Amino acid sequence: MRPDPALGLLDIYDTALPKVHGYLLSRCRDRTLAQDLTAETFLAAVTAARKQPTPPITTGWLVGVARHKLADHWRRAEREQRGLRLVHAAVGESDDPWDVEIDAVAAHQVLDALGPHHRAALTLRYLDGLPVAQVAEHLGRTVHATEALLVRARAAFRVAYRVPDEDPEALR
Amino acid sequence: MTDPRSDPFWALRQPITPVDPDPAFAAELRSRLEAALLAPEGTPMTTAVETQHTLGSYIAVNDARSALDFYQRAFGARRRGEPIVMADGRIGHAELAIGDSVLMLADEYAEIGLLSPRTRGGPSQSLYLRVGAPDAVDATVLDAVEAGARLERAAADYGYGRNAVVVDPSGHRWMIASSPTETPTSRHGDLAYLTHAVADTARARAFYGAVLGWTFRPGRVADGWQIEGTSPPAGMHGGAATPGIEPVYQVDDLAAALTTVRDHGGQASEPQLQPYGRIAECIDDQGAHFQLLQP
Repeated sequence: MRPDPALGLLDIYDTALPKVHGYLLSRCRDRTLAQDLTAETFLAAVTAARKQPTPPITTGWLVGVARHKLADHWRRAEREQRGLRLVHAAVGESDDPWDVEIDAVAAHQVLDALGPHHRAALTLRYLDGLPVAQVAEHLGRTVHATEALLVRARAAFRVAYRVPDEDPEALR
Repeated sequence: MTDPRSDPFWALRQPITPVDPDPAFAAELRSRLEAALLAPEGTPMTTAVETQHTLGSYIAVNDARSALDFYQRAFGARRRGEPIVMADGRIGHAELAIGDSVLMLADEYAEIGLLSPRTRGGPSQSLYLRVGAPDAVDATVLDAVEAGARLERAAADYGYGRNAVVVDPSGHRWMIASSPTETPTSRHGDLAYLTHAVADTARARAFYGAVLGWTFRPGRVADGWQIEGTSPPAGMHGGAATPGIEPVYQVDDLAAALTTVRDHGGQASEPQLQPYGRIAECIDDQGAHFQLLQP
């Protein structure tokens, strides 16, 4: 018999909590949602820590659990909004090279306004730096479907994004 | 995709910045966590999970007691048994579990040439630690540096994943790397599901249970059944006038696929939204029925 590996969660709680919470808050930018997902992450980690093979009970592993919780949240939101979205005209799918320097602050406001599926894809791919295959795994899609989704998400982002202090028409 | 280096979207990259939540929330969550940990789980405590692989590491460290503490804080290692303390007070053998692996270590034994890299003047090897997603690399590096490691090479993305190098207090060089990506199993054109349409599901379940050993659980619709554990997944429903088996093929873009079906002389129904994706019934140009699914 070995000690319950999940007990390791208490040892790292104080150092891991701000990192998990900071990760979630910066991605969803909603204080209440970040707290809910933080709690979900730690409670889900208790079960996950008892699985075999035992994962390394580290902050990094917890951030991975948090990322799955965040992706699940966006998938739920996407399912709820899907009916509405079909009414909207589809955005273009142009993925031409885009020669612009993205301003991080403006970009996050644009991300807040995108649909959950686009926001999820761009966050996992670019904010978190995940390879496309891992984005696909988090979103429960195939790599091909995820690549297509990323193209649409980039297009939606470009439509919504305005370079600060520039004439919006100049981007058209 | 465009060249990743020049892609303006990479400006969105955002490393993790710790943010303390509301202290009341932090305290409440700790209590909930403690309660969840103490709650009976129905299963006994986990038995040994890490194993000695064919090749393992047995390292010499400068101070085994503090090294045991360091590896727990830096890499989430778990103690594996009690260290063996020799008559002179040195630790002759100790084991830690890291993920599914075992790390063995001992204090230096200069008399038989076992010295730490720090004593020897540098490492002759690296220990390679896979930690999961790319930003788990960053988080592990943070933990390791906080625990007393020296950062030798900051985390960066390479063609094969993200990695970083830290040197621990005994001079061991650790390469912290993201895990290789998994390839998803199903893609465009794959057979995703089989639907068995039968007249009487009780007879069909008895027949296929006897012939193929299939077991069934009730599905989401009346007289619908999931066949358990087959590949690809399959189901059965009753009340069919003509018994038959209908394949469900996966597509990347359902709307485009349905247009192609019609353009080539087939028929296609309007897509239905289901919990597992969007699906449409089709008939090919010779009359065979099939379905297309975009997950």
